[in-house]
Amino acid sequence: MPDNAPILAVRGFSVAFGANRAVNDVSFDINPGEIVGLTGDSGSGKSTLGLGLLGLVRAPGRILGGSIAIEGTDLLRLPEAERRARRGRQIGLIVQNPRGSLSPLHTVGQQIRSVLRAHLTITRPQAKLRSVDLLRQLGLNDPERRAQAYPHEISGGMAQRVLIAMAMGAGPRVLIADEPTSGLDVTIQAQFLDELSKVSRQAGSAVLLLTQDLGIIANYCDRVLVMEDGRLVAEDRTAHFFAAPQDRYSRRLLSLAQLSPPPPPKTAETLLAVHGLSKAFLLRGSGKRLQAVDRVDLAIGRGETLGLVGESGSGKTTVGRCLLRLIEPDSGKVMFEGRDLARTPLATLRQLRRRLQIVFQDPLDALDPRWTVGRIVSEALERPSVGRIAELLQLVGLDPSTASLRARGLSAGAQQRVSIARAIAADPALIVLDEPTSALTPLARVGIVTLLRSLQREFGMSYLFISHDLNTVEQLSHRVAVMYLGQVVEVGTREQVFNAPLHPYSRALLAAHLAPDTTDRRIDRAPGAALAGEIPSPVDLPVGCYLASRCPNVQEPCRTTPQDLQYLPDGRAVRCAPAAAL
Amino acid sequence: MLAFVGRRLLTAAIQLVALALIVFFAIRLLPADPVARLAGQDASRESYLSSQHALGLDRPVMVQFGAYIGVLPGSSGLLEGDFGRSWVTGDPISQEIRRTLPITLELITISFVLAFVISVPLGMICALRPGGIADRMTFGYSLFAGSQPEFWWGLLFIFFFFSVLGWAPPPLGRLNPMVTPPPVVTGFITIDSLLAGDGEALWDGLHHLMLPVATKVFVLSGPIVKMVRQNMTRVMTSDYVLYQQASGISPGRIALTALKNALAPTLTLLGILYGYILGGAVLIETVFSLGGIGQYAVSAVLAFDYPAIQAVVLVIAAISLFVYLALDVAHAMLDPRLQG
Amino acid sequence: MSESAEIDTALLQADFDAQLARPVSNTLFHVGAAIVALSLLLMVIGPWLTPYDIGRPSDEIMQPPPSLSQVPGLVRQMLAGAPHPAIHWLGTDSAGLDVFSRVLAAPRADVSIAVGANLFSLLVGSLLGLFAGTARPWVGGLTMRISDLVQAFPVFITGMILVTLAGRSNGTIVVTLALLYTPIYIRLTRSEVLTQRHRGFVDAARVLGKSEGWIALHHVLPNALAPAMIQASVTIGFAILMTAGLSFVGAGVRPPTPEWGLMIAAGADGIVQGEWWPSVFPGIAISITVFGYAAFGNGLERRHAR
Repeated sequence: MPDNAPILAVRGFSVAFGANRAVNDVSFDINPGEIVGLTGDSGSGKSTLGLGLLGLVRAPGRILGGSIAIEGTDLLRLPEAERRARRGRQIGLIVQNPRGSLSPLHTVGQQIRSVLRAHLTITRPQAKLRSVDLLRQLGLNDPERRAQAYPHEISGGMAQRVLIAMAMGAGPRVLIADEPTSGLDVTIQAQFLDELSKVSRQAGSAVLLLTQDLGIIANYCDRVLVMEDGRLVAEDRTAHFFAAPQDRYSRRLLSLAQLSPPPPPKTAETLLAVHGLSKAFLLRGSGKRLQAVDRVDLAIGRGETLGLVGESGSGKTTVGRCLLRLIEPDSGKVMFEGRDLARTPLATLRQLRRRLQIVFQDPLDALDPRWTVGRIVSEALERPSVGRIAELLQLVGLDPSTASLRARGLSAGAQQRVSIARAIAADPALIVLDEPTSALTPLARVGIVTLLRSLQREFGMSYLFISHDLNTVEQLSHRVAVMYLGQVVEVGTREQVFNAPLHPYSRALLAAHLAPDTTDRRIDRAPGAALAGEIPSPVDLPVGCYLASRCPNVQEPCRTTPQDLQYLPDGRAVRCAPAAAL
Repeated sequence: MLAFVGRRLLTAAIQLVALALIVFFAIRLLPADPVARLAGQDASRESYLSSQHALGLDRPVMVQFGAYIGVLPGSSGLLEGDFGRSWVTGDPISQEIRRTLPITLELITISFVLAFVISVPLGMICALRPGGIADRMTFGYSLFAGSQPEFWWGLLFIFFFFSVLGWAPPPLGRLNPMVTPPPVVTGFITIDSLLAGDGEALWDGLHHLMLPVATKVFVLSGPIVKMVRQNMTRVMTSDYVLYQQASGISPGRIALTALKNALAPTLTLLGILYGYILGGAVLIETVFSLGGIGQYAVSAVLAFDYPAIQAVVLVIAAISLFVYLALDVAHAMLDPRLQG
Repeated sequence: MSESAEIDTALLQADFDAQLARPVSNTLFHVGAAIVALSLLLMVIGPWLTPYDIGRPSDEIMQPPPSLSQVPGLVRQMLAGAPHPAIHWLGTDSAGLDVFSRVLAAPRADVSIAVGANLFSLLVGSLLGLFAGTARPWVGGLTMRISDLVQAFPVFITGMILVTLAGRSNGTIVVTLALLYTPIYIRLTRSEVLTQRHRGFVDAARVLGKSEGWIALHHVLPNALAPAMIQASVTIGFAILMTAGLSFVGAGVRPPTPEWGLMIAAGADGIVQGEWWPSVFPGIAISITVFGYAAFGNGLERRHAR
């Protein structure tokens, strides 16, 4: 076989669920050593295609036809036993939800070993050594112990590495990775993708990377395939794709990146000022205290959007809920329109609350399943009327007839619009947006971001936009605050934080950020500013700076002296004495 | 693991103590007059009072309670494992329970094992094609079987297999009166006849068990099949089974993984079901005159025989708790997530 | 959590499952609903529909039902108004009572006891569940421990004891069953209340300035009640089984009340001699009724899950 022949050649491949064609007549090639991205909205058939390339399909689907040639042999024409021998040996799969892909009642080591023994003629002890070896190569410390862990005892990032070990253990030439980083934090995601591309380069395997995240595609892939309604609608080299997308779907997704930053607020008046906000939770059983929010200071101006970013467990959601007293803060002040909300009696607060509204992450959970959309929106109105409800629904881009429907029948994007309509119905001065776009498809996300921007332009309310998605934060925020382990480590304007972060943690976070932009691809550069080690447990925090154990520029006083937020002349604030001194 | 078992045992012990208290006082709060029942409705005042005295019911309730748990001098009680004597026959209750309990446990346990053994392949067939014909039929069957009056099905079986076909023995007990029972070792006729090497008693015992077990298996299979089918389907459509397929692992190995995952959680549910069925065994025992603890309970209740009632409730609750505990611990041993 | 590429297959699959499962589960649901409705109707008017007096014994003792070949002739005679012998469609029992009449009249006892007991325990149990889910943790915990304790009693035997010692009557059976079933509803409602309290729409109502009481009444309770109502349908079926079972062993409704379990017990001796009809027909009635409640409950559950 000539060297330049495709390692994977798919022709006319189709999968059907009932009468519905989830994958419809798909053809493409992947060459040896290539990393090819496959993108498309939820429901476009990516996952079904990914699984189908191994000759598998979830019940009750059926493979209708086509051919999948791996190194020249059509998988679909082989008997089942032969196909099985090739799965894991010639073509490997990594999926999202890594923990769900491991049997909860078997150790991680057992599961890696059973793959090795299915494909390689090796003894039990050899398989054991080999599996520990694989885990070590993937950067797990103490791999012997990890191999004896059950899936519920390891983190999502680790489980994802176990999946790589299973998928790559028998050395397949083609690897299908289906949303391998969904659910992982930004820094872990980047590390993981670095490892994935390194491992596949070393093994000379080709990778088909299925993802909705254009940032991942821009930074790691050589070519891009776009799927819509089960069909391939575009195929292009990555650089060219981002410069001039050919298909409607990609153009719409990439349109956000071309948006100008939101116009600055009209006044410089401060609407909300938070001082020294703290909240600890008592852990049941152990009686330990988890410091979720630790002396947080924030200020939001009238008409301004403050982006609050941080990884899972950083306390950003708790901050949002403390502002609304959905969680009672332990200490600190929340000054809003001349009143300290943290000390206002609940009865008075009830009157005030309408000025502060919230939109939640899970759009379905935020709407009472027994109520119609009209009733949900009118819950926020002092004097409900059909006309006002229709007006509000139109404001958020919904047809007034939606009022008679129940939430379950709407798409996630439409559900989130109903939540937004309910929030603005109360005529708030500030809306806390708690990851409002995280549960949405990329296309729906574009719609919500656009809507939030236009509502702010029209009504001039302020947003506290809480998110782990730096792309969305960049599109919405005037100023950005970065949180790490319950503390705000840096606050500044969008340009300051995104272009020249000061705090070592912000620097690491932004270095791991994958922008949908091909000018400075991560795969082509040496990974910089990465943080070593693991996040300290919020139950057992260090004495000095919380980042000291992982910081690349750590100095001796950092380990013993707690850091305070220091305000700099250019208006930003940073919780790092060495960085502030520069 | 030890801490887990210890904690469970402690909870169970506390529950049993509370149960013993409640049973004793609750039946005395109810508006029944056991003396009148035992002495006869038209007994003279003297004979009423002498009966009352003989039963110790003329003492204050707290003294009666002391006698019940065995803290009064000269009497043994619950603390020594003594349930007292029957008010009706005067025999020690422990003896009655030792005679009747094995009959019930034998019937229930054999039926449980059979129903479970049947349900596993059925559940697997369902899981192969969820929503397929086999799945839907099995589901309908489990819904039906789980909502049937077992005593009536017992009678139907007797009608067909004894009266019409003559295959089954008459529903008059555990053994043919002409057959000599094997010497009592465990009280379980199947085991005792095996121990004695008595083929005739073994065969006759099994023959008499045939219809009651068939009835019980039919009714029990409803909830068990439903539960196994649900777990099997969940596991077979799970991401980890799919991922094992995608890793090229052989169907046999995948089936083993799936079975372990599907059956582990059924253990706890089986434990709950066992207690429920044990308490309800009285119906099937009555139909086939098996003379188990259920029938003993009925006679005790109808005769207002308080010590016997207390003993039966405690014994059945204790066995239910013990079986539940044992299966729950077995579940925790299979599933490391539960050992926290 | 975040958007999943799994959604696409999951959606398709759900669609497909729904297409496949809907006809069957819908048929089951409708059959169940019809049986439930019929049983409730008979509970109210059954005793007035009986062709014979359910309490007065006649001389026609142990008359078998007409054979199938006789049926058309009898129907013709009846319709023509011609004189004909007394017809007992389901035969008579050992006291000469018409089995059909008594099967028809029995829901007045069986169904009303089961429904009454469950309404009672649903009401008490869901209120206690709401209380246990919203009260201070230790109060809630205590409520749950007490409810655990009640559940540790063997159901059937405890039922037997309470009914017999408190005096066998419809009222004591209702109260006994209600007591035994209440913990089921407490547990169900409490766990629902605990989840509902932290749902997004509940927090949203708080942020809109609604009071906790208003929220409990308008958001938490209505959403927490659905599983309890579904459970009620299934438990009513079990309560019918238990009512019949109690009277079968002589610890339930007193004779001569027309009641399915009593009828089966009365006919049990005859079955060995081949006189099957006094027992078989009431059994069929129980079998169909309880299955109907189970199917109805199952259908409700599927609808709710969607």
